[in-house]
Amino acid sequence: MKRWLLRGTPLVAFLALWQWAAWVPVSFNFPTPWQTLVALSELLGSGALLQATATSLQSLVLGFGAAMVIGVPLGLLMGVVRGVGRVARVYLDLLIALPSAALIPLVILSFGISIVSSAVIIFVFSVPFITMNAYGGVRDTRPRLVEMARSFGASWGKLFTRIVVPSAAPMILAGLRLGLSRAFLGLIVAELLLSPFGLGKLIMISRSMFEHDKMFATVLWTLVLSGVALAVLARVETRLLRWRAG
Amino acid sequence: MTGPVGIAIEGVSKRFGAVQALVDIDIHVKAGEFLALIGPSGCGKTTLLKCVSGLVAADGGRIVVGSRTVTGPGGREASLVFQDFALLPWATARENAEFGLLLRGAPAAERTAAARQALAKVGLAGSFEDAYPSQLSGGMQQRVGLARALAVNPQVLLMDEPFASIDEQTRRILQDDLLRLWSDERKTVVLVTHSMEEAIYLSDRVVVLSPRPGRVHRALDVPLPRPREALDVRASAEFARLVDELWQILKKMQ
Ligand SMILES: Nc1ncnc2c1ncn2[C@@H]1O[C@H](COP(=O)(O)OP(=O)(O)O)[C@@H](O)[C@H]1O
Ligand SMILES: [Mg+2]
Repeated sequence: MKRWLLRGTPLVAFLALWQWAAWVPVSFNFPTPWQTLVALSELLGSGALLQATATSLQSLVLGFGAAMVIGVPLGLLMGVVRGVGRVARVYLDLLIALPSAALIPLVILSFGISIVSSAVIIFVFSVPFITMNAYGGVRDTRPRLVEMARSFGASWGKLFTRIVVPSAAPMILAGLRLGLSRAFLGLIVAELLLSPFGLGKLIMISRSMFEHDKMFATVLWTLVLSGVALAVLARVETRLLRWRAG
Repeated sequence: MTGPVGIAIEGVSKRFGAVQALVDIDIHVKAGEFLALIGPSGCGKTTLLKCVSGLVAADGGRIVVGSRTVTGPGGREASLVFQDFALLPWATARENAEFGLLLRGAPAAERTAAARQALAKVGLAGSFEDAYPSQLSGGMQQRVGLARALAVNPQVLLMDEPFASIDEQTRRILQDDLLRLWSDERKTVVLVTHSMEEAIYLSDRVVVLSPRPGRVHRALDVPLPRPREALDVRASAEFARLVDELWQILKKMQ
């Protein structure tokens, strides 16, 4: 009961603020929460939203999937082979420090306006975090555990799979979660700036036609989508790391 | 299982860069003996145990465990027990106890049976099997560490200050349990400690190492009767006399 109160209060406050903003209104044609919900159900009913979602998810899966498949092994390699780590981390730090959105014109130039462009941008947004976390995870491995395994005659391969990877797992999973939220950011930035497709397109079209309720509905939908994806990943994380709960 | 084996440490030296850790160490541990190794912090006790286990390569000299000359880690004669337990936090007590066997490629059924048996020997049977280290007290974690060492059925236990980070009451219980295990299993034990009482209470012989660079300063025989865990040896005058003798040796060495 208390927990629900704690969780519900910010939501109620947010809705109240929104309602107030629409009542003022803070800008022309500002939709109320209710109007937004109606628009959302219309968009869902017409299939337009689901179609846009499918398109967007395609580039998300492509971009984030590639970031995961490349980032985690790269990070592990960086952690295990010192030299690779020292060199690669400089570039990754740079990629993290730079405003990644600045790379978008370059990406468009290279890949044109396509799902691939979108995926590449998502990849660039998320891969440095995934990689650096895997790298940090390997470096967090307790030398004492390596020593213990070696005392039992562990081969290099067994050391890696039985000590290094499980030691790095918490950081890797945290990196994936961070990477996923960055991937959603990349997705929206990419689609708002370049695509004639996906959720970004839906947002842009409804804005240009002053259908602000539909625009809000799409934005809300996107937020819910990323929220659900992150929550699922968080659940997987607690499941895999249940040994942590003391 | 074959019987216990002896350890010959002959002329072993070790240098880390500018730090000379060990100089010309000669120690012969008899088969089935309980040897305690004591000396000031940083004198090379841990390094010496690592040399015996093969984790650290000595610069000079020779170490023979049983009939095998130590050339690297992974020898089947000896198991290590660590001060900080060195348990895998993501593995249950049973999985931890199985770990040595897993690394040596034993089949699952055999691993589980040996781990259960080892956990029972250290008093951790039943419901503790599925607990993670974070759910266990320090004393119980070290029991798991000991079970892991025992599960591979070694002839030698190399213990590096195994009870140093455990509270006094639990430590005494663990010491008694270790003595019981030792007399049941007839293993050779080399136990590093910085506690004079612990060295005298547990061992047949105490080897005193000098401050860095570590050399063998003296050896002190401990002719206390056994089983000490049953005889209330700590309360005896002879125990107090031996602890004091050890103290005099350590004091004069400073
Ligand atoms: N891997 C290492 N690299 C460099 N110096 C080391 C290493 N291991 C131990 N030493 C040094 O060797 C000396 C003996 O260390 P150690 O064997 O841990 O002593 P003890 O266990 O008796 O306290 C210390 O001065 C320590 O700093
Ligand atoms: Mg030490």
